[in-house]
This record gives sequence, structure tokens and C-alpha cells, in this order.
Amino acid sequence: MILTPEVLAIMILNVIFAFFGIIAFVLSVKIFLGWNPDSVSQSQYRLEKQSFLTATIIKYIFVVKVPLFLFFIFTLDKISNVLTGAMCAAGVVDATAYGTNLFILKIINLYLFAYWLVLNSEDVKHENQPYTKMKFGIFIVAFFLFISELVVEGVMFNSIDVDKMVSCCGTLYSSSATSAISSIFSIDTAVLLSLFYGNFLLIVLLYFLKQRYLFAISNLFFIIISIMSLITFFGTYIYELPTHHCPFCFLQSDYYYVGYLIYALLFMGTFYGLIVGIIQVSKENRDKNYRKSLIFNTLYVILLSSFVMIYYIKNGVWL
Amino acid sequence: MIELKNIIKRYELNKNDIVTALDDINLKIKEGELVVLKGASGSGKSTILSLIAALSKPTSGEVVVDEKKISKLPDNFASVYRRDNIGFIFQKYNLIPTLSVKENIILPLVPLNPDANEVQEKLDKVTKMFNISHKEDSIVRNLSGGEQQRVAIARANVNNPKIVIADEPTANLDEKLSLNFIEILRELKALNKTIVIATHDPLFFDLDFVDREIQVHNGKIIL
Repeated sequence: MILTPEVLAIMILNVIFAFFGIIAFVLSVKIFLGWNPDSVSQSQYRLEKQSFLTATIIKYIFVVKVPLFLFFIFTLDKISNVLTGAMCAAGVVDATAYGTNLFILKIINLYLFAYWLVLNSEDVKHENQPYTKMKFGIFIVAFFLFISELVVEGVMFNSIDVDKMVSCCGTLYSSSATSAISSIFSIDTAVLLSLFYGNFLLIVLLYFLKQRYLFAISNLFFIIISIMSLITFFGTYIYELPTHHCPFCFLQSDYYYVGYLIYALLFMGTFYGLIVGIIQVSKENRDKNYRKSLIFNTLYVILLSSFVMIYYIKNGVWL
Repeated sequence: MIELKNIIKRYELNKNDIVTALDDINLKIKEGELVVLKGASGSGKSTILSLIAALSKPTSGEVVVDEKKISKLPDNFASVYRRDNIGFIFQKYNLIPTLSVKENIILPLVPLNPDANEVQEKLDKVTKMFNISHKEDSIVRNLSGGEQQRVAIARANVNNPKIVIADEPTANLDEKLSLNFIEILRELKALNKTIVIATHDPLFFDLDFVDREIQVHNGKIIL
């Protein structure tokens, strides 16, 4: 078990989240099963009161959980200092059998929790609260993922053995590695970059065509293609090293924490892009989400491309 | 215009102590009508007012105002409904004692963020109507009971609400001031406002401009 102040903070927060999350879950089940917006019965009025309380509990859990993801990465990065062989968060993620699964689960939850927050904010904008049943239904599902995340997180921190040597990111993110990650290096860079910029141009095109479902789908693909191209291509220009592909090292101070900005832009851009397709809102709000998605995705593409261009301008060659 | 349908209101003090304030009430109040709810303390009059003003929700049943189910409104929408439709005159006035008359009266306008000219226009109108314009800059706590009540009435009307609600409006006034208040009511009635008053003051009974007197007893309407 590793118990740094950061891990301790996360574990204490997890206990608090679990306590309130269980209360919210029980109430959500009651609301989901009994909700009838047309009823004027005693039970419906009671559920209406409870729905406000429950939504408030969930909102505050998720409002803290979403930015806590960055703190989690920061924690992994800090822990890497005490693990032999680890150079960054990548080594900590790989140190146990749970790390990668936890990371994937956290990313799924990040989008899910942010989606719930948007759904809730849309719901309370309407007198008849059209999304109430839906948002509590989604929370019931999200609760299991949420609890799974807390459990796996606890198990992962508990399983880290500080005396055991772990692999560094240079080994994990290389074409010679045996992990699943290595398979992305088999994709030709030109193809990947075509997909990356092509996908971005498609998002721009769909923004003007206002095709909400296609816009959302193209954003979904953009998440995957972006991460792949970040690891195989853009990362090397951030590090200015053709062999360094780690998606975590640029979160460190050596790179001015630029990784946090990169991931925040990618998350914001793709999240609002997905929201356009998933939630039925007023035209005005949908246009706002379209705009936010396009702005953040564009900034993301400009930021990544700028590393390549600056390197070329400085050195006159490509990596 | 105002309709209470099968209203039950219970206050749960604890598991074994539940007070039924209203027991299956049905009531319709037409637009422009002046209704006096009569009854002893604890009969349920104030509870009816709080339901009409969306200050509380029924345990079961429905409150409909202008075809809007106000008992189903979430709190944030209930606040907007109150702000736009209701002028409430409280028994103890509920003024902010450290603010001036003017500041108290324009308080309901603040969330609407109107321009200064509009505020002044509305302020002038109500202070003149309720004869308090000469005290505009006075601090409320320095005013007499009758003056404080006129400020409360001016505040309740500054938004030009369709519905005016008064809960025991003369409970803290002597007879002369109570009669003044009744004259003010007559003026409000002439403006075609819907007015609902809860009182046990006999001065309100058998007034010529009151459309209906409703007796409330133990949470029920006595016909």
C-alpha cells in the first residue's frame, strides 16, 4: 500500500463520495420507479422534494469528481518518484494489473459524470423538469461505474509495491513493447495524421452543416484518433525526441504542465461535441455547445500542430 | 383564475405528531374577486394563502393559477411566479428595518434589473397611491405601525401584481388604522386586482366591496 498525502486525500474523498453516493443511489431508485410528473399525490410531491435533494448531492459529487481526474493524474505522477523504474504516471499505471482498467474506467466516468451535470442543468431550466426520470435512471447506471471506480482505485493504490521495480514510459510506449499500446505504432504516421486532420475538418464541416448526430459521432472518433496521434506523432515534437511517446511525461513541470492543457482542451471539445448529439436542448443552447466544441477542438489542433511547426522552424527538419 | 383542488396539507412535526392544516379543500376564486377567509387562529387560513402564493406545496392536491399548476413548480420557478404575480402583505410586514422606505419598496424590482427611470416611475406611483411619498428616505424602523404597513402595501404592489394576498393585515393596528387599510383595499379592488385576505378581524365582515366571505374551520371550508 502506498500512502502519500495525495493518495490519502483521494481515499478520504472517496469515502465521503461513497457515503453520499449510496444515499443518492437509494433515493434515485425511489424517484426513478415512482416518478409521475402529472400526479398530484402525496408520494409524487415527496419525490419532487427528494429529487431536488438527490440532484444536489449528485451534482456536488460530480462537480468535484470531474476536476479530481486531473488531481488523480497529478498523484500518479508524484508517486512515480518513489517507484523504482517509473519516470512518470505511466509507470504507476503499469505497476499493477488494475492501473490501465482504472484509467479507462475513469475516462468513461469523466464523460458520463460531465454528461449528467449537463443533463441536470438542462432539466432545472424547465418548469416541467423533462429529464428528471432520465437523469436519475442514468445515475443508477453511473453509480455502479462510480462505485467500481472507487473500489478499483482503492485496490490499485493498495496493490502498489514500492519495492517492486516497474517499467518506465520509454519501455511501455515504444514500438517494441509487447502491450496493446504497441499496436498503434504499426499504423503509418501519414495515415494517422490524415485521419486526425481529416476528422477535424469533418467536425468543422459538420459544424456548418449542423448535423448533430454526425457531429457527435465525429467527436467520438476524434477522441480515439487524437490520443493515438498524440502518442505516436505529436508527443515526439513536445519532447523533441523521436523515440519518446509517453502520454504522461508532458504533464510534468519540465514541459510546463502543458499536458493538462492538452487533455483539458480535448475533453472540453469532444465532450461538448458529444452533448450536441445526445441531449435535445433549445436551438440557442445547442448552438452554444456546437461553438464550444469547435472552439476547444480547434485550440487543441492548433496547440498540437504548433509544437510540430515550432520544431520545424527551429531545426529545419521533421522528426 | 385561482383554483385549489382536493388540497390536503399536513405538517409533520415528527413521526407521531402530524397536524392536518387543510383537509380536502376545494376553492375557486375568480379574477378581480375580493375574498375574505375567516376563521380562528390555526384554522388553516394562512396555509391557504401560502399555497396560493407558492410559498409552500400541498401534501396532495393541486393549486392552479391562470391554468398554471403552481403547486408543481420547482422552487426556482415558484420564485419567479411569486415575483411576477403575487403581492404579499404580511401580518408583521416583514420589512427590512435598517433600509429606507424607498429601498424596501423597490426590493421586489431588484431581480428584474430595470433601468433607474422605470424604478423611479413605479416607486412614485405606489408611494403616491398609498400616501407614503413624504417618507421615502426615512428608515423603516423609525416609522409608526400604520406607516410601516403602508410601506408593506406599497412594496406588495410595486410590481403591479395580479393577485394581492394579505395575512391578518390589521392584527397590529388600532381601529383607525385598520379602517384606513380597508379604504386602501377598496382602491385595490377598484384596480381589478384579485385579493385574498385571511383575517379574524370583524371589521372586514359584511363590507360592501367584498365579494365573498369564506369560513375556514379545522382545515375545512364551511359552506
